[in-house]
Amino acid sequence: MTTTVGRYIGQSVKRREDPRLLTGHGRYVDDVQDAGTLHVAFVRSNVARGRITELDVSEARALPGVEAVYTADDLNPMIQQYWASMMGPRIEMGGESVYPPVSVLAPGDVRYVGDPIALVIATSRYIAEDAADLVVVDVEPQRPVLGLREPITNTDLVHPETDSNVSQTMPLPEIPEIEALFANAPHVVTRTFAGARATNVPMEPRGLTVHYDRYRNEMLIRAATQSVHEIKAFAARLTGVPESNVRAVADDVGGGFGQKMMVMREEAAVIMAAFKLGSSPVKWIEDRRENLMASNQARSEEGDLTFAVDAEGHIMAVKCNFFEEVGAYPPSAGATAMLAIGVFTGPYKIPIIIPGCTAVYTNTVGKSAYRGPWALETIFREQMMDHVAREIGMDPIEFRRINIIQPDDLPFKTATEMTLENITPSETLEQVVEMLDVDSFRAEQARAKAEGRLLGLGIGGYVEPSAIAFGVLNSDPAVMTMDVSGKVQVRLGTGSHGHSIETTIAQVVATHLGCDIDDVAVIQGDTATSPMGPGTGGSRTAVIAGGAAQTASIEMREKLVRIAAQLLEASPDDLEVNGGVVSVKGTPQAAIPFAQLAMTAHMAPDMLPEGMGPGLEVIARYRPPTEFTWSNATHGCVVEVDRETGMVDIKRYIVSEDCGQMINPMVVEGQIAGGVAQGIGGVLFEDMAYDSDGNPLATTFLDYLLPSAPEMPDFEYGHVESMSNTLGGYKGMGEGGAIASPPAVANAINDALAQIGVPALTRFPFGPSQIIDAINAG
Amino acid sequence: MKPSKFHYHAPATIGDAVGLLGAHADEAKVLAGGQSLVPMMSLRLATFGHLVDLNKVDGLAGIERSNGHVRIGALTRQATAEHDTTVASDVPMMAKALPHIGHFQIRNRGTVGGSIAHADPASELPAVALALDATLEAAGPGGERQIAAADFFEGTWQTALAEDEILTAVRFPVWGAASGFAVEEVARRHGDFAICGAVCGVELDGDAIVRAAIGLFGVGPTPVRSTLAEQALIAGGAGSDLADIARQAADPLDPSDDIHASGAYRKQIAAVVVRRALTKAIEEARS
Repeated sequence: MTTTVGRYIGQSVKRREDPRLLTGHGRYVDDVQDAGTLHVAFVRSNVARGRITELDVSEARALPGVEAVYTADDLNPMIQQYWASMMGPRIEMGGESVYPPVSVLAPGDVRYVGDPIALVIATSRYIAEDAADLVVVDVEPQRPVLGLREPITNTDLVHPETDSNVSQTMPLPEIPEIEALFANAPHVVTRTFAGARATNVPMEPRGLTVHYDRYRNEMLIRAATQSVHEIKAFAARLTGVPESNVRAVADDVGGGFGQKMMVMREEAAVIMAAFKLGSSPVKWIEDRRENLMASNQARSEEGDLTFAVDAEGHIMAVKCNFFEEVGAYPPSAGATAMLAIGVFTGPYKIPIIIPGCTAVYTNTVGKSAYRGPWALETIFREQMMDHVAREIGMDPIEFRRINIIQPDDLPFKTATEMTLENITPSETLEQVVEMLDVDSFRAEQARAKAEGRLLGLGIGGYVEPSAIAFGVLNSDPAVMTMDVSGKVQVRLGTGSHGHSIETTIAQVVATHLGCDIDDVAVIQGDTATSPMGPGTGGSRTAVIAGGAAQTASIEMREKLVRIAAQLLEASPDDLEVNGGVVSVKGTPQAAIPFAQLAMTAHMAPDMLPEGMGPGLEVIARYRPPTEFTWSNATHGCVVEVDRETGMVDIKRYIVSEDCGQMINPMVVEGQIAGGVAQGIGGVLFEDMAYDSDGNPLATTFLDYLLPSAPEMPDFEYGHVESMSNTLGGYKGMGEGGAIASPPAVANAINDALAQIGVPALTRFPFGPSQIIDAINAG
Repeated sequence: MKPSKFHYHAPATIGDAVGLLGAHADEAKVLAGGQSLVPMMSLRLATFGHLVDLNKVDGLAGIERSNGHVRIGALTRQATAEHDTTVASDVPMMAKALPHIGHFQIRNRGTVGGSIAHADPASELPAVALALDATLEAAGPGGERQIAAADFFEGTWQTALAEDEILTAVRFPVWGAASGFAVEEVARRHGDFAICGAVCGVELDGDAIVRAAIGLFGVGPTPVRSTLAEQALIAGGAGSDLADIARQAADPLDPSDDIHASGAYRKQIAAVVVRRALTKAIEEARS
């Protein structure tokens, strides 16, 4: 029996989602208008930290059209349990995960600007906002807790329920032998790097409609979420409604980048409010100001790095101490440095790592996942590689070559006990070097300098721990059914929020089942029809859900072949499957289409092979063989810096990546492009800054500068395809674009500036003002 | 981000529009392209009980040349002016400034008069009007009056227009054939409000400069005209040390800090954009 593997896998099949999405006919949460829907607006704090001295909702409640106005006293006491599946139960419940104190509305004090104080439910959003304006709030301001290091010792507390602002810490150890190693190393370089606070900015903000029917004790949730199963489980825990009575649906979702993976406080508040109301559907659509001000932040991180390097340029040991702020109410611990430490050594043979990290609560919006939550390891390490190379007088590419993991080194056990395998960091590095034509570039750079123009080149490399497969993330399901007409449905626990899952998984199914892609429907985003899965995030869907779909497809195909063998009176080994037809090899006229086989299975069970039951259903689940499926890439960037204005023009941007077997190269390149755009944004544009009073300064798109098409260069792609050890040979690559691009851009800028003796910048953003400051100082 | 309740008026004549403004006083606001007003209302940063929409008023849009001037009706869309051949040939500084405004979707809706009357200090058209000595035509309860651009811009979002006056047109003088113009700005992204920008024009007679215009925006509460630098340029001619002229333009500035750039940066860059714009303008005038 053979099939034409590769007919769809590996092809740039056009996205089946695009006709509806690109013509404005997607069905997002706000597009569904159930009769009688009520609308929510939040009253939010405009003070970072303070005690609520007055809260009067009477005038708001009296406004015609207002159904209810809830405050902390109405909702907080009703909360049953508050924890996320990915992190597990709270410490006080016997779990291991750190969470901020429980509240869905400000409990007598406000803890960041944007902190929801009251929730208004009205017959329209307009009226809800009018009523929100009528809520009288008086807050006695207190000095806010801000910064990454100062809160560690600050006795003012973000959460009075705790005894310290430190949410998690692992102190940097002092080990005498290691100190001696650093003291005697030929080169020791120390730097501090800082990220710029960013936020995810999905095109569709958060939003949900919750309808709790108290007479049925049933809850229906429509949400902009990456994981319907998580919001279903969360709502059940929150309210005490049996999880079997909760259904969550996400049709089209307009981006998430991690923001919609875990349930956040406002969403929990809306669930509680609808539960308390117990009648009408209650809808909250986050507006853009709320999304920027109050959804989540990330990348407010610093790293103190020290590298010891021997005389030949081999890295002997590194110390890294990370500091991060998790804001007031991260949806879980918020801290990501621990994972960053685990993968800090990246694509290099670094024999010793001495790590430390500290996360603090601050009076700012909570930290949550943003594409590559652990990205600080690559962002800081790859800048450090250039700083070290420059300081020891070595070319940064040569310094990487000396230290990079070579094919012969694999499998490679890192200093943090991770086993890297099936990766190609030196191959992608060399591919980028070749595509850049580095020697020609250096000559061009010298010519440009003679004309007074500053060109620079930067490299960034990384190894990505994709498809994390432990805890609730351990596996993904696929339930496949074939109906009487021979068409196939595959139901996944994934949650597409702009991915191409309807296309790529259909490619996997059509390839392994042996049918036309148009005969495959991919169903996801509804807990009533899809089996339990953790949703889409963490670069997992192709690897894990793809493996499940492949498993289901092969099992379905085997059943169809057995039925065909019975009907054709042939051996299964003599049959082949192609285009939805099972035929005898070499005798194409002896063939049976899927539709006839399906009709037999569903309607004529007596004609089935001995022992085979009726129907065509397969339940599959795939768990990858390892907890991480490693992928890797190298980015190369060429910039021109205007030395008079500090403006940066990206001349070339090259990515060489290895995500194993590509299902759809167009989709792979689209994922890379989107991630790189976000990474470029993180260096040049995006800065969710707060002032010294704890006021967010970028609450509209006038001030929060997303990179847009005119700022983007043409991206050039190179691919190395080495198979992973997962079922399809795939490796996750959804986040890498955003992880490796910030250091590549930063390194290019510093390479340009180094030519005129400007000390390298280390703190994002590298805006024109900061670059000119550096030039003026240098 | 929903505006509070307001009454919408769509008068057919400028007289009716002025009457509505008078009737509702500070409760009323003129709606033209809505590219600044509508977001401000949605954010509830601005609240008006009455919007007076000018889009149905006849005769407020159009571009015509007469008596050495180009007259642009206030409701002329920025995109229309951007692609207009009269504007391109007779008010090139305007044609060069327009593409810097937002993105084409914004310019399709945004109006020339709306941008000038809104008087955002970081926007391009107020600086163009100021640098070119434009005359602003306004209609009010007492009829029409003309305001020199030099007298028009009073502060951030503040102009010489009275509460019940409407900007109806802008008249730009047409410069001679040996003229050159340039617009240089530094913005974080294409289409953003400028961190700092310069609009410059020169008219040559041989190597002599007979007319000069240097305008700056994004550097203070109003657009800035650098009269002293213009005089120095006229005195020095086309061979002037343009870096020095540009420094003279930048020296009096005292811009403030914001999230996008420090005031010191803006001041330093002001000299750069003026020098670059003057260099280009002189090149163009010579060709």
